[in-house]
Amino acid sequence: MFGLYRQYWRINVLTTLEYRANFILWSLFTVVYHGSAIAALYIVLHEFPSMNGWTFRDMAFLYALWMLAHALQNTLFSNVDDVPERIREGDFDRVLIRPVDPLFSVIATPGQIFPDELILAASFFALATVYSGVRVDAAFVLLVPLVVAGGALIDLGINLGIATLAFWFVRVDALRWVVLQLEQEFTRYPIVIYSRGVRFLLTFVIPFAFMNYFPAAYFLDKHDGTFLLPPQVGLLSPLIGTALVLAAYAFWRFGLRRYQGVGH
Amino acid sequence: MRRRFRLEPYVEFAKRAIAREATYRFNVFTGLGSLVVRVYLLRTVWTALYAHNAAPRELPLHAIVTYSTVALLMGLVLDIDQTRALYDRLHDGSIATDFMKPINVPLYFFADGTGEVLFHGALLVPALGFALLLVHVDVPSLGVLAAFAVSFLLGYFVGFFLNFILNCSAFWTLEISAVQMIVTWLTDLLGGQLVPLVFFPAALAGVVYALPFAAMFSTPLLIYVGVIGPERYFDVMASQLAWIVVLGTVSTLLWRAGARRVVVQGG
Repeated sequence: MFGLYRQYWRINVLTTLEYRANFILWSLFTVVYHGSAIAALYIVLHEFPSMNGWTFRDMAFLYALWMLAHALQNTLFSNVDDVPERIREGDFDRVLIRPVDPLFSVIATPGQIFPDELILAASFFALATVYSGVRVDAAFVLLVPLVVAGGALIDLGINLGIATLAFWFVRVDALRWVVLQLEQEFTRYPIVIYSRGVRFLLTFVIPFAFMNYFPAAYFLDKHDGTFLLPPQVGLLSPLIGTALVLAAYAFWRFGLRRYQGVGH
Repeated sequence: MRRRFRLEPYVEFAKRAIAREATYRFNVFTGLGSLVVRVYLLRTVWTALYAHNAAPRELPLHAIVTYSTVALLMGLVLDIDQTRALYDRLHDGSIATDFMKPINVPLYFFADGTGEVLFHGALLVPALGFALLLVHVDVPSLGVLAAFAVSFLLGYFVGFFLNFILNCSAFWTLEISAVQMIVTWLTDLLGGQLVPLVFFPAALAGVVYALPFAAMFSTPLLIYVGVIGPERYFDVMASQLAWIVVLGTVSTLLWRAGARRVVVQGG
């Protein structure tokens, strides 16, 4: 399986090199996508210096933490998002007849995947860490990779859960789309600003707040007192991520056993 | 040889575009859903910001919420790529047969785009209805509303020609999806849809007011909330018109060069 995975990355890199102009343009879009979000935050917080006690420096770190976890998920597991479409097209049945685990087969479907977003995210994270003035010590260096991996797992767990619904419902795009919006736009701000219901949703139902808000609050030493939780809950991200992925994987296996194809 | 111009075929093209858009019910649903979510988000964000900081004098909280809501509603129309059909037909090569038809091809794309826009324009009504459940939107005087409508229309044409230029570049390169996404994202930020341009730091503001994107969103919106008063209507609309002339000229030149290319290649 390791050999297969290495081949998968080899094909990805070769494909990327083949379509160089296209790759450069899409990388540029990635820069514009994150750049415009960060610029909008900068402009707003230049005019209004504080959002419930969070400054632009804090929010740059908040964004960087989400960006890094999300980019890690995108780089390693973005193929999971294609499952609903592959089921609809009947192409999914191909992964079922291969002598490897179907989920592995899905994840290792070659395309034009390159870790450009991850490199960008890591660079911005380094910048934002220095800029935010967060204390960088041994604990920080040890905890950040864990928290980022946890964030990526949370992202994966939710994506896999939604993709699995496609075994029963042919069209899950609308749901995926709304959840993606919740993730990308609502994680930009400290969740204290939201109403109770939205905070509850982002903490306990689809726990995007554990991708960046709670860990960032811990590292930046913010005491917002969201749901009376101490800042240390931010360090639970790896546990929550692991639990979520395990649950999503069990759900996936359950769906897979019942899957009968869409009738092509 | 010149044929007498008839409008009916183009009305028919527009009608067919409306029927086509109406079949994508899923897009309509996500479009409205996303708008409601965004209205909630912007209301919350601005409320939080105004609660903890000194409010700027020219845009009190109710004005900024109005601004952002109207901006999102305008996006339903302005974010449409009306001349996508041009790209599609260049991509699959069917543009060649379009040139053989007894029609004015650019006008065909304009009619198709207009149909698409009219359909999405009709969605403004339910969208506004949903938005009003979440926020209060200020309604200015009739005179201001009229000026806003004119400026919005001018902004629409600025956007139309920008899209047309992008789609025309598909005559030379077929890889334009990424560029279009880049331009869409830049339009939303630099056009003042996400954050009013009056909040931009002075150095940046100088740049954004010199770009065509401000003519799409910012000008009509600032008229709506009254930051641009009646004494400046003439100036700002003249500048919108200037952009239409510039971009329209570029569009015409690109179209001619591209059409010649198709004729030469497909001969």
